Amino acid sequence: MITVEGLAKQFSQGSGRQRRVVPAVQAVDFTARDACITGLLGPNGAGKTTTLRMIAGLLRPDAGRITVGGIDVALKPQAVQARLGVLSDARGLSPRLTARENIVYYGRLHGLDRDRAEARAEALAGVLEMAPLLDRRTEGFSQGERMKTALARALVHDPSHIVLDEPTNGLDVLATRSLRAALRRLRDEAGKCIVFSSHIMQEVERLCDHVVVVAGGRTVADGSVPALLAQTGQDDFEACFVQLAFGPTAVGGAA
Amino acid sequence: MQGAWQVFLKELRDALRDRRTLLMVLLSSVALGPLLLVALSVLVADFEARAEARTLYTVGLDGAPTLANYIARQAWTVHPAPEGHEQALVARQFEHPVLVVPPEFERDLADGIAPELLLLSSSANQRAEGSAGSVAALLQGFNQEQAGLRLALRGVAPQALQVLKVQRRDLGGSRAGAAQFMRLLPFFVLMAVLYGALHAALDTTAGERERGSLEPLLMTPQPRWALVLGKWGAVAAMGMGVAVLACAGFLPGQWLLRSEALAAMFQYGLRELGLFLAVLLPAAAALAALLMAVAIRSRSFKEAQAGTTVVVLGASLLPMLTSFNGGGEQPWHLWLPVLAQVTLMQRVLEGGALGAVDLLLPVVVAALLTAACLADVARQLRGAAWR
Repeated sequence: MITVEGLAKQFSQGSGRQRRVVPAVQAVDFTARDACITGLLGPNGAGKTTTLRMIAGLLRPDAGRITVGGIDVALKPQAVQARLGVLSDARGLSPRLTARENIVYYGRLHGLDRDRAEARAEALAGVLEMAPLLDRRTEGFSQGERMKTALARALVHDPSHIVLDEPTNGLDVLATRSLRAALRRLRDEAGKCIVFSSHIMQEVERLCDHVVVVAGGRTVADGSVPALLAQTGQDDFEACFVQLAFGPTAVGGAA
Repeated sequence: MQGAWQVFLKELRDALRDRRTLLMVLLSSVALGPLLLVALSVLVADFEARAEARTLYTVGLDGAPTLANYIARQAWTVHPAPEGHEQALVARQFEHPVLVVPPEFERDLADGIAPELLLLSSSANQRAEGSAGSVAALLQGFNQEQAGLRLALRGVAPQALQVLKVQRRDLGGSRAGAAQFMRLLPFFVLMAVLYGALHAALDTTAGERERGSLEPLLMTPQPRWALVLGKWGAVAAMGMGVAVLACAGFLPGQWLLRSEALAAMFQYGLRELGLFLAVLLPAAAALAALLMAVAIRSRSFKEAQAGTTVVVLGASLLPMLTSFNGGGEQPWHLWLPVLAQVTLMQRVLEGGALGAVDLLLPVVVAALLTAACLADVARQLRGAAWR
């Protein structure tokens, strides 16, 4: 389980007189349960990526507390990172290594021995339907092929908690469907706790068991898709999201 | 330590697979020693050949049989100067000084009037200038012979005009003489080491940041120092590999020396190779760390290239301090990285004494620089991932 309580983070931009403080996250709270896909839904600049980076231990929050599997990220970041599989916004690969070498390298960094890391790479290639890619160098990979390799790299150590930052960005419809199927399998067969950020309504509606709506750096609503629809009195999830994120007056805008 | 080792292996494999860059670095480092030695030996052999050639180009020597006789007795070969030799000398197309003898030479000589000879050369024409000295010495010999004969005819001993004798002795020794020609070698070796580490340093820091693979790396449970240590190990290994190849290249390079004198003077054996490596390997480690510390601040590979130009420029200028400063080698030279290495390698080539303190001091400075730069890279690493 991942718990996020009263999370806040601000950045300062520029220097001297030009310096200004930008609040990226102001009050984000949510709980992501095991064997459940939790969607972090919000418009661009809502603070989703910053929140996920704080969960992954990459950024230190200014306020608030995050636990992953009961471990406080601020106190034991490395213990948390060992339990987390993160597909971040930056999903670059080493272009001169093969997909297999990229995946095994991360397995080794997570403490797996060579045989175990190789076996995991093979197993994930089966799950993510990327077996023919394994022994090709990643330079020249398509967007979808790169995403699958990066996802396999994030999951190589079989983490109990998975954090995905807009994983379908740039993917075609078949690759998106394949990814959705893989995430469902991870939830249903392995009972993983999955946090998934997106600004695509259809994706969240189809995949997430629980949705956390974030706007302006704050959690503005959370619940299942039917619960959020009932809360707003809307039939359409997009209208529901617009009402929650931008207020009831925004719903009547351009559809 | 296991994490640092994994990062080291991955970065080294990555760097070795960059075939085009690797080929350029290896070719330049392996070929560096032999090429430099061949170029220097061709230059020295040419100077030697000119010194031994005793060839004189003249205009109007036919009208001066006394002078022609003296020149022939000194075993010089005389050739008529080509047409347009003045322009050719200025344009460096003709590389011999030209002696112009006036038509009235013989008559003036007989009348006791000093005939005026003209020795044509050009200060921009280095080779012609080099030979002009020996032609002037030849004419001085003729001058002395004629003066001696005239004094003897008048019953005066020629020694009466010689109140002192001058003897020249070169205290530099043969190896110091060779070092004059070899002054460039340590500098080129050090620059080869710097360029050997440069690409790997940029790729493991700014390159990783640009392609977005630094952030996932920082989300593994490896401590930052392990990541930095592994990356630095790979970059330093590239620089050290180039150092070994470039220094070892001088061993077979000696066989290509065309100048016998230079071959006799340039003594480079296993001892010299060992000393060169003892000086260069710690420097390669420090330069690798310094390049990484500069590159990690850049958002892209291109930006890092511009940043590291300052390091390359600094490394190129530091050895020149001795030329600007004068006063020869100073104790503080061994405190400055790059300058210390060039100074010590120079000393090895000159056959000078090299104490343990001389070797240890630059090693300590390199170790401190390495530690400071690596600590800085580790500090910068986390912010670099998302800035």
